[in-house]
Amino acid sequence: MDDEENPTASWAAMPDSSAFYRKLSVYQLQWPIHDLSDYVIAGARYGGPLALMRDATKMLAMPRMGSSSRQSIQIFSSSGEAINTISWDQGRIIRFGWTFDERLVVLNEEGIYRLYDLRGDYAQHSLGPEAGEMGVIDARIYENGLVAMTGAMPGTSIGLLEVKGWIGGKPISLASPGLTEPPHAWSIVPPDVFISRHVEVLLASEATIIAVDALEAADQHLARGPFLHVAPSPNGKRLALLTATNVLWVVSSDFQNSLVEFDVNAAAHDAGASSGALVQYVQWCGDDAVFVGLDGLTLLVGPGPSLPYFYPSATFAVSEIDGIRVFSADTCDFVQKVPKNALDVFLPGSTEPSAILHDAWMHFTKRSPRADEAVRHIRPELASAVDACVDIAGWEWNVRTQRALLNAAKYGRAFLDSYNPTDFVLMGQTLKVLNAVRFYEIGIPITYAQFVHTSPSHLLVRLTARSQHLLALRIAAYLSMKPDAVLKHWASAKIARAKKADGSSEDDATVCKTIVEKFNQLGGGEVSYADIARRAWEVGRLALAIQLLEHEPRPADQVPLLLEMKDDKRALLKAVDSGDTDLVYTVLLDLHRRLPLGDFFRMVEDGGPRLAPAANLLQVYARQQDREMLRDFYYADDRRVASAILALEEAVGMDDPAAKAASIKAAQKFFSEDKGSAFEAKMMDENLRLLAFQQELEKDVDHKVKFVGLSVSETIKLCLVNGLSKKAERVKKDWAVPDKRFWYIKLQALTQLGDFEGLSQFVKSKKSPIGYEPIVHHLAETGHAKEALAYVPLVEQKKRVDLYAACGDWQAAGKECIALKDRTRLENVTRMCTDALARRELETMLRSFG
Amino acid sequence: MPSTAPSIDSSKPEIDPSQVVDVGVLKELAKRYLVDALNSVNGPKTLVLDPSLAGPLGLVTEVALLKQHGVDKMFWLEPGPLQATTTNIIYLCRPQVQWAKLIAEHVKQHTKESQNHVYTLLVVPRESSVVKRILEDEGVLGDIHISEYNLQFIPLEDDLISLEYDHAFKEIWLDGDETAVYNSAQALLTLQKIYGLFPRIIGKGDHAAKLKNLLKRLQSQSPRQAPGSHTLSEKIDSLFIIDRRVDMVTPLLTQLTYQGLVDELMGMTSGHVELPASLLAAPTAQQTPSASAAASTSAAGRTALTKEKKKKHHLTAANDTLFRDLRDLNFSVVGANLSRHAHRLDSEYQSRHQAKTVPQLKEFVGKLGGLQTETQSLKLHTGLCEIVDPQTKTEVFNKSLEIQQNLLALYDVNAQISAIEDLVAQGVDVAVVLRLLCLASIVAPGIKPKVFENLSREILQTYGYHYLPLLLNLSTLHLLTTQPLSPAAQSLKLPLSALKKSLRLLTEENETDNDISYVYSGYAPLSVRLVQCVAQKGALLAAPAPVGEEAGAVPKAKAPKTRSHPIVGWKGFEDVVASFPGEVFDVVQAPDGGATDSSANAVSVLLPREDTTTTVVFFLGGCTYTEVAALRWMASQMRGRRFLIATTGIIKGSSLIEDLATSL
Repeated sequence: MDDEENPTASWAAMPDSSAFYRKLSVYQLQWPIHDLSDYVIAGARYGGPLALMRDATKMLAMPRMGSSSRQSIQIFSSSGEAINTISWDQGRIIRFGWTFDERLVVLNEEGIYRLYDLRGDYAQHSLGPEAGEMGVIDARIYENGLVAMTGAMPGTSIGLLEVKGWIGGKPISLASPGLTEPPHAWSIVPPDVFISRHVEVLLASEATIIAVDALEAADQHLARGPFLHVAPSPNGKRLALLTATNVLWVVSSDFQNSLVEFDVNAAAHDAGASSGALVQYVQWCGDDAVFVGLDGLTLLVGPGPSLPYFYPSATFAVSEIDGIRVFSADTCDFVQKVPKNALDVFLPGSTEPSAILHDAWMHFTKRSPRADEAVRHIRPELASAVDACVDIAGWEWNVRTQRALLNAAKYGRAFLDSYNPTDFVLMGQTLKVLNAVRFYEIGIPITYAQFVHTSPSHLLVRLTARSQHLLALRIAAYLSMKPDAVLKHWASAKIARAKKADGSSEDDATVCKTIVEKFNQLGGGEVSYADIARRAWEVGRLALAIQLLEHEPRPADQVPLLLEMKDDKRALLKAVDSGDTDLVYTVLLDLHRRLPLGDFFRMVEDGGPRLAPAANLLQVYARQQDREMLRDFYYADDRRVASAILALEEAVGMDDPAAKAASIKAAQKFFSEDKGSAFEAKMMDENLRLLAFQQELEKDVDHKVKFVGLSVSETIKLCLVNGLSKKAERVKKDWAVPDKRFWYIKLQALTQLGDFEGLSQFVKSKKSPIGYEPIVHHLAETGHAKEALAYVPLVEQKKRVDLYAACGDWQAAGKECIALKDRTRLENVTRMCTDALARRELETMLRSFG
Repeated sequence: MPSTAPSIDSSKPEIDPSQVVDVGVLKELAKRYLVDALNSVNGPKTLVLDPSLAGPLGLVTEVALLKQHGVDKMFWLEPGPLQATTTNIIYLCRPQVQWAKLIAEHVKQHTKESQNHVYTLLVVPRESSVVKRILEDEGVLGDIHISEYNLQFIPLEDDLISLEYDHAFKEIWLDGDETAVYNSAQALLTLQKIYGLFPRIIGKGDHAAKLKNLLKRLQSQSPRQAPGSHTLSEKIDSLFIIDRRVDMVTPLLTQLTYQGLVDELMGMTSGHVELPASLLAAPTAQQTPSASAAASTSAAGRTALTKEKKKKHHLTAANDTLFRDLRDLNFSVVGANLSRHAHRLDSEYQSRHQAKTVPQLKEFVGKLGGLQTETQSLKLHTGLCEIVDPQTKTEVFNKSLEIQQNLLALYDVNAQISAIEDLVAQGVDVAVVLRLLCLASIVAPGIKPKVFENLSREILQTYGYHYLPLLLNLSTLHLLTTQPLSPAAQSLKLPLSALKKSLRLLTEENETDNDISYVYSGYAPLSVRLVQCVAQKGALLAAPAPVGEEAGAVPKAKAPKTRSHPIVGWKGFEDVVASFPGEVFDVVQAPDGGATDSSANAVSVLLPREDTTTTVVFFLGGCTYTEVAALRWMASQMRGRRFLIATTGIIKGSSLIEDLATSL
């Protein structure tokens, strides 16, 4: 590039408008590609690489008929450097495209897709059996997902499947578009730019466009079709449509506003191309111009007439957020709109402050006194002029121009009292980075806007993916960023290479040490050792993997790998030590599936107290999910009491008396086998007897009353309530129910029946073992205060006051107080009294008291 | 009551709000996570909810918000078919086997009926391998998109946050399932992310220590990018962790504060209590329907959520200033307090007669709305008291209180045990009996084997033999012990007689006015005494002067509030806290994420500050409303320190015991 070249030399004015466009010649390509039209091409955004595959539909002279069925995809950087070649041995490739992190997605007709990184390592996923059956006929791939189109069976519609994120998730079926034939053209609006945050598919069918999302397919009722090209703008707000008559029609993406109509044929004719030329592609140049590619000619279409760019051969274009990258067989160009700040500075005759500042700097370098004069002239606008120069330095590609602009800014800054230099410093740093990666050997022609949009860390990821570790590390250090991701990649590469040598050259300990040292030295504290260990394991270096894994602080990352490596014991220990119960479950469930039951139990049990949490969790899980296993577990471990409790718990839930009895019997047996559980065994005996007795009872009353499931006390009560007092007595005797409890039960039963006569007889039958106070209380609390009064005199005198009060007989309570000669209590009673009439009487008593 | 004492000064006007730890953030966080989770699914959706999450969710969101984010209908996750009209179905549940099985059933049913649905499962608080495994075993894993809804601390009040785990105690100590410990550590980590590192972590209890270690380890593993997560908190001066096992005495006792009693006698779930609809009928009682009350019933005859005539009411000080005054009072003075409020309200209403001029009238009308709200709330609490009061007058209630107090005083333990036996004979609620029996086991050196066997038999015969597992579980936990104590039980034995002296657990009647022991009418909760050892040493070192003449049970903040002292760990109480079971710890956290043992020297971070600081008290295994009340009371006695009470859940003795009954 000629350094003395005027920055405006690459500019061209859009006819009939004040807009200028710049065509930068970025790289001259030296690559083995001679005609782009022979290839199917996918280009990654943000100055990313190109993937090219021979177009099988094109006739070409085959030099040799070797592996004819094999398809292969070549990957080149934007500067034409070969990066990798992928050979494909699966079904026919339908489409390929790039992810945000510059992995190549290759999808075949069976719905299998692979994600290749630039080194050629891949992960394979599938769109599921449905896609395989129907066959994938086309797809659109965007940075964070893809939409695949499946073929239509007779009588059905074509289908659309969406995959989000590149993690192999289950595809989601979008609404059926109701088309039996593939559309003329189609496109998608990625979710990150579409208002609903969900993907939108635009299908050109007949004369209209059908917009499809997950929920519905909406016909937009257009009549100008059929459309041969559908292209949404990078921000998703506009749509470029090309009709069959080569009219380019730009509308807002809701189809409400028609923005531009443009006759491509006429323009091509004007530009000297043969009319009716076939449009190869329609792409956006930023968000405000459309780039139409024809054979040997490209047209940049803005709101007015078009701007033609001529190329000798076929071209290919990659739409960018701030412009468009155009490839021909031997050039890589970048076309973009010239921003206002650049117009201000560089347009000949500009009197804008920024232009004057730039001029002033030029004078200054020539030691001309006019420099000072110029700066003083723009003093009020100096700050904004400085900002503009800094800003436009970022837009410039020419290093000398960049430097001139930054120097101009620096010069202007000196005249300002206070100026925040952050932007200036950042711009300087950034430009250094950008210029480094634009160098043809690296071949990432990224613009400042794209760099800001994708973030510096993204650039680091891209550099590491190209194995440019050194550059990446330097940039990381330069921009004070974490080098973790780079280091991780470096370590993986190191392990892979160490293996590829002869094996003995670098032993595990050395490799591990090198990696750990490097990490500590460069502060890669957040690098996941587990990821690196996995890499080591994948290339077959088990010992190294384990050594590396020991450096991993996060058990959640250690454990899964240990499991995969079948280092079960260590996995279990690590999981338990982590305190993360879910991790313990992960190990337990995996072991339970893989190991014979006996081995599994032994591993958990032999761990002693250290593995006790695992044993506990195993029981919690088994109790809910696999009781059979739990029984085995307890049995294997001679845990009789636990076995008994398990049986007993099951008995509770059972309705069938026979099954219930069987379970209780089992519990009884387990208890009797345990020497400390004689009492429990006896209780289970009682329980069984009760169950049998209750069944008998039910038979006696013709199953009108349900006894099974009741306790001994409840059985007695129910017998009494149902007039089976003999039976009640029998239970009392057979189960040795103490008199006290029996009295309480009978008291409750008779009260419930309202049999106060019976109660009276019962109470008088012998001296009450529970005293008489509880009888009064029970009656009073169940609302039978009147009946309760009869029993108050049976209670010793001291307590009668409160009992009378509890029954609401205030008068009697007062009299008792007098009998007791207790004035204080009488006062208390009076205060507590809620009955106005009685209170008056009490007050009289109180007065007469003394 | 001669003179009604001023209630606890709850408004605390002297505290600068900017220094207060605002727990509203936590609610917003919970809400945002939920909204994000809902929005990840496009279009209208049916929400199927684990019933145990209804309460917690009701505290963070309203039905309207769910509707706003596309929730068309809500169902309980329960057995039986699910008829959903939307394509999207979202399940929201805790990671339990039963839920996973129900979901699998739904999916299989729908597949059979060739209904096409898109399933999303949100596991609370995080994804679970068990759930995944079960769905896999059932063959439906591929059909369900599993994600998580990280619901952690939920604010119940502005000083009380809860994880709302109902079974934490049972899971940790009976099952040995320490998921709750891990989740607690994660939740505390979130607090650290929001408010900064706890400068000091102090605590007692083996599991509390486990939690502390886990918290430190997770902190050291957490990524450093998050700003602020590695600097010391400026608003919080320390975290105090106590595990429930350290103090089993307190939850076994009957709570005697207003809110505590409401929980004991009526049951509160997630801050809600069921009340007769008539109490809530007035116009001001219109509640924003909480999510818990709004899941609809389907044609398939799903259970109706709102029972007839009963309504759920959210009892919270946030919208009920009267409740703020009442909740922590000993119930014995609530009545008097209510009547005082009634009189005040009445006189304020009367003030309209004095309103002669238009401006005066205008002023009165301006107050009217507030007065009406207050009237309504007065009506509510009067009604509530009317429900609670008779239950506190029953023979059984008072008998059980008497037994508790005698046991604590170690007064004739044998007689207390026969009194308990008597209660069994009467067939009173089994939880009441077992609480007393456990208490007897803890205070006395175990029950005589013969007596215990006889009691067990009485219990099994009275309540049913299926209580045998519960009795065995209580024995396993050494909550029920027999003489002679096994070595394991011996190691867990609480030296109550010594502690009663060294920590003044029991106070004389006239002292309760000036001490946290008012909450149990004479017993100071051991757990809160431990907090005092660290955060209010003065209260323990110098016995408060008896307040003789006034016998009201409201503690009076008459003496000028003392300035709170900085947190210096257990200093002065090292021997006492080491004298009973449970690991004692005290670490100072350094900003770089490391921690050093404080016994060395760390006074630099503990310089007294003039601003208000907050001490977080975390109860692992749950705390009672009464303990909350005691902590609030402590805070009211000091200048410069607030407590933020965090817990795995609100518990009470009866639910604690009942929870241990089933191992299912």
